[in-house]
Amino acid sequence: MNIDNIKKEFPIFDEKIQNNDLVYLDSANSSQKPKVVIDRINEFYTKEFSNVGRSIHYLAVAATNLYENTRSSVQKYINAKDKNEIVFTKGATEALNLVANTLGQKYLNEGDEILLTELEHHSNYVPWHYLRKSKNIKINFAEINEDGEIPIENIEKKITPKTKVIAINHLSNVTGAILPIKEITEIAHAKDIIVVVDGCQGAPHLKLDVQDLDCDFYAISCHKMYGPTGLGILYGKKKWLEELPPYQGGGGMIKEVKKDRITYGDLPNKYEAGTMATAQVIAFDKSIKFLESIGIENIIKHEKELIEYGQEILKKNNSVKLIGNPKNKGGVISFTIEGVHPHDIATILDEDGVAIRAGHHCCQILHDKLEIPASARASVGVYNTKSDFDQLNESINKCKKIFDLK
Amino acid sequence: MNLKELYQEIILEHGKNPRNLRKTENFNKDAKGNNPLCGDNVHVYLKLNNQRKVEDISFEGSGCAISMASASIMTDLIKGKSDNEAKEIIDDFLGMIKENPELKSTILEEDDKTKLMCLSGVKQYPMRVKCATLSWHTLISAMEDDGKQVSTED
Ligand SMILES: Cc1ncc(COP(=O)(O)O)c(C=O)c1O
Repeated sequence: MNIDNIKKEFPIFDEKIQNNDLVYLDSANSSQKPKVVIDRINEFYTKEFSNVGRSIHYLAVAATNLYENTRSSVQKYINAKDKNEIVFTKGATEALNLVANTLGQKYLNEGDEILLTELEHHSNYVPWHYLRKSKNIKINFAEINEDGEIPIENIEKKITPKTKVIAINHLSNVTGAILPIKEITEIAHAKDIIVVVDGCQGAPHLKLDVQDLDCDFYAISCHKMYGPTGLGILYGKKKWLEELPPYQGGGGMIKEVKKDRITYGDLPNKYEAGTMATAQVIAFDKSIKFLESIGIENIIKHEKELIEYGQEILKKNNSVKLIGNPKNKGGVISFTIEGVHPHDIATILDEDGVAIRAGHHCCQILHDKLEIPASARASVGVYNTKSDFDQLNESINKCKKIFDLK
Repeated sequence: MNLKELYQEIILEHGKNPRNLRKTENFNKDAKGNNPLCGDNVHVYLKLNNQRKVEDISFEGSGCAISMASASIMTDLIKGKSDNEAKEIIDDFLGMIKENPELKSTILEEDDKTKLMCLSGVKQYPMRVKCATLSWHTLISAMEDDGKQVSTED
């Protein structure tokens, strides 16, 4: 597949958005969907629908096979050792809640410490905060440096004999910094510390090999990976998923239910209570095939070129200030304009069909640290081109004109 | 959509140089408000005298041009009014932003009404309505001073 033709795979770019061509620079929030994924959902509901894992009629068996087929595709895509290490959730948020909750139930004790970073998304902080309340667990934050990255020393500095879990972003959704997960895991495991990775931004944009990273858990958001909403994935090492208790109770996750006792199902059913996002799981197989057809190396190269180009033109635009300058950076550029609030920037850009995000991007800790209430963020996906950044720059200039800036 | 209607001169001017952006000395009522969606926050201070007249009103906080302008214009208009008059103006403003085409209150001068109507541009931008109303909701809670924090996410 030619990277120049990829945009054509996404029907939304045939639409006019308020009479404009869409310049979509909000993929870190959620990516657009290729036609193959959209069609698969339609097809499944039209011709193949049934619930999975319960009935023994033809459609139920076929749907179950399709559902499990996606699990195998995910396993291969992230190079997990075992298919049962892949758990479907409603999103990365639920995956992270699952980990925090079950570790809290069985593994963590009063006084234990959890190490996060100042780059964490609220979904990798709030679930741990619950444990602060319910189990008297302490949370520490590894600090960012002036480039908006987390050097490994800053992690090491905050590890204490009480640290039991390190929960970290793979790729920051604000500064774009890529964290050295493999190195962090090595240090952590030498001290018997569990490593939980929020891979929301890593999974769509980086080469993934969970065995090589050796992390204990890795959370994925499918809607940022050219897949449907309402779906996430938790990768967890088998020994942990077997040892930890279930998260939610209900149908599908049990083995035997008696009036006086319940035994739980085997992996992965143990963590998939109730009717799951069946159509989304089945369609997500197409997202993986789509990513594979382009090749992650090509995606990385393409996005790197885009980000370098975007940074270059924005750096030349005076009054634009880029947030962070990580050496190892993924597809996100956050910025502020002196004298214009990010919300005003976003509204004015929107008028030209340029979709960005403005706000704290669910990273209030980071924005507090940077002493700004909010920022504007342009983030890329496979379908973006350099001309998208030319348009961004042009619309920023319009914004400066309205606010009478030079 | 019309950016010119949203970013009128008056809005940009108030946004850049907000009036009453300070903390009232000896305030006797106050409240904080925030918009969790964007992290914007505002703190409104009031000094009501014995005749229940707003002797002074001020605010602190940060936000977009719309929210700063709205707080600025609001404090300008409310100063010197009685608490009942203030409530009428607030209702009128919020009603206008929500659905009414015009302001109805007879308390306000035509000039003041024109200023307030400059904020009506947000009606075309549903995501921005909260920016214009945050300080007003916060003022209500300051007047009631129930110690509750206003959040526009409710
Ligand atoms: C870094 C990061 N973590 C977590 C999330 C939450 O993911 P989800 O929407 O799948 O729950 C997001 C997306 O908003 C994110 O960017």
